[in-house]
Amino acid sequence: MGHLTTPAAQTAPPRPAAADFKLEGELPMATQAAVPFLELETLRAKEFIPAAREALSSLIAEQGQAKVIRPVFNWAGRNSLFPLHWGLACCAIEFAAAFGARWDAERFGIVPRSSPRQCDLMIVNGTVTWKVAHKLITLYEQMPEPKWVIAMGNCATGGGPFRTAYSVVPGVDKLVPVDIYIAGCPPRPEAMLDGILKLEELIRERKE
Amino acid sequence: MLPDDLSRELGPKLGDRLLGVDPFPGTAGRVRFKPDAALDLFRAVRDDLKFGHLSMVGGIDWVDHREVFYVAWSDEIKQYLLLSADLPAESAHIESASSIWPSANWHERETWELVDIAFDHHPDLRHLLLPDGYTFHPLLRSFKLHEPEELEVKQRRV
Repeated sequence: MGHLTTPAAQTAPPRPAAADFKLEGELPMATQAAVPFLELETLRAKEFIPAAREALSSLIAEQGQAKVIRPVFNWAGRNSLFPLHWGLACCAIEFAAAFGARWDAERFGIVPRSSPRQCDLMIVNGTVTWKVAHKLITLYEQMPEPKWVIAMGNCATGGGPFRTAYSVVPGVDKLVPVDIYIAGCPPRPEAMLDGILKLEELIRERKE
Repeated sequence: MLPDDLSRELGPKLGDRLLGVDPFPGTAGRVRFKPDAALDLFRAVRDDLKFGHLSMVGGIDWVDHREVFYVAWSDEIKQYLLLSADLPAESAHIESASSIWPSANWHERETWELVDIAFDHHPDLRHLLLPDGYTFHPLLRSFKLHEPEELEVKQRRV
C-alpha cells in the first residue's frame, strides 16, 4: 500500500513571496495614486467605498478612462463567458461532453445558460438549415452586447458535407458575424475549449 | 390475414378498380388500386378490415410515373397493410386520406413537397420540412444539386 501514502520527499513546493507575483500587464497601476491599492484591503467597509472611488478617479484622471476601464471590463468578460445552451446537430454531443466531468469546461468560467438574455457567446454547433436560419438570427439579436459567435465544426464553418444541399446554409457567417472557426467533424471537446481560449485572447485585445 | 382474404373482402366493394393484392414481406399484403378508388378503399380498410391507424404515407418517383403508398396498422390483428397506387408523372394527384385518417395530414404535406404528389381536398397543404417559398421538389430524380451561390459574409458592427 506504499503508493497510497505520501512520500516524505514530495512536499509542496515553497510558495513564492508576495513580491514575485506580477499583475498582468493590462491592469495599469497608478504610480502615484491618492490611496495605494494595497492599503485598501485594510480599510473598514464604511471607509472602503469613498477611498476606492477616490483611488479610481485619480487613476482615471492620470491615465484616461479607456485605458483603465476597458482592461478591467475585458478581464471580467473573458473569464465568465456564458455560451447559449443549445444544440443543432452532432457537434452538440461534443459540446455537452465538454461540460462533463472529463473536460470540465466550467473551470474556465464557461457556464451554459438557457436564455439568450444571459449569454454573451453563441456556439453554433451543427448544421444550420435555411428553415432554422431566422430563429438563429433572432437568438443572436436577443443576446446583449458585447457578444461573440463561435462556428463549431465543418457544417457551421462552411456547410460541411451538406454544402451542395438545397436546404443548408453554406456557413453560419452568412447569417451572423463569426469570431472563431473550429474545424473538425465533429471537433473534440479539447478543440472546442481551445477555440474558446483563442476567443479569450481576442477579448483581451478588445479596444472599442 | 392473407392476400386472398384481402381480395375477397375488397373485391366486391371496388370491382375493377382493385388492380390486385400481392404478398409483401412484413405486411398482410400489398393492395394495388386505381387512384379514383382511393376514398372507397380507405373507408373499407378502416371500417371493415379494422386498420384504425395510418402509420405513414410516402411517394416514389419512378421517372415515367409516380407511386404513392400508404401503410396502415391494425390493433385488432397486429398487422400492417400496404396500399399503393400509380399516378401519371405529368399530373400526379390523388384524394387526400386525412378525412379518413387524420394522421395523414402531415405525411401528405411531406409527400407533396418532396416528390410533388398533390392531395386533393387536403385541409392545409403547406410546406412542412422545407422553408416557405420553395418552388422545387428535391426528391424528384430530375432535381440536381449545385454549388451554393456566393453570399456576403457578415462583418461585426464596430
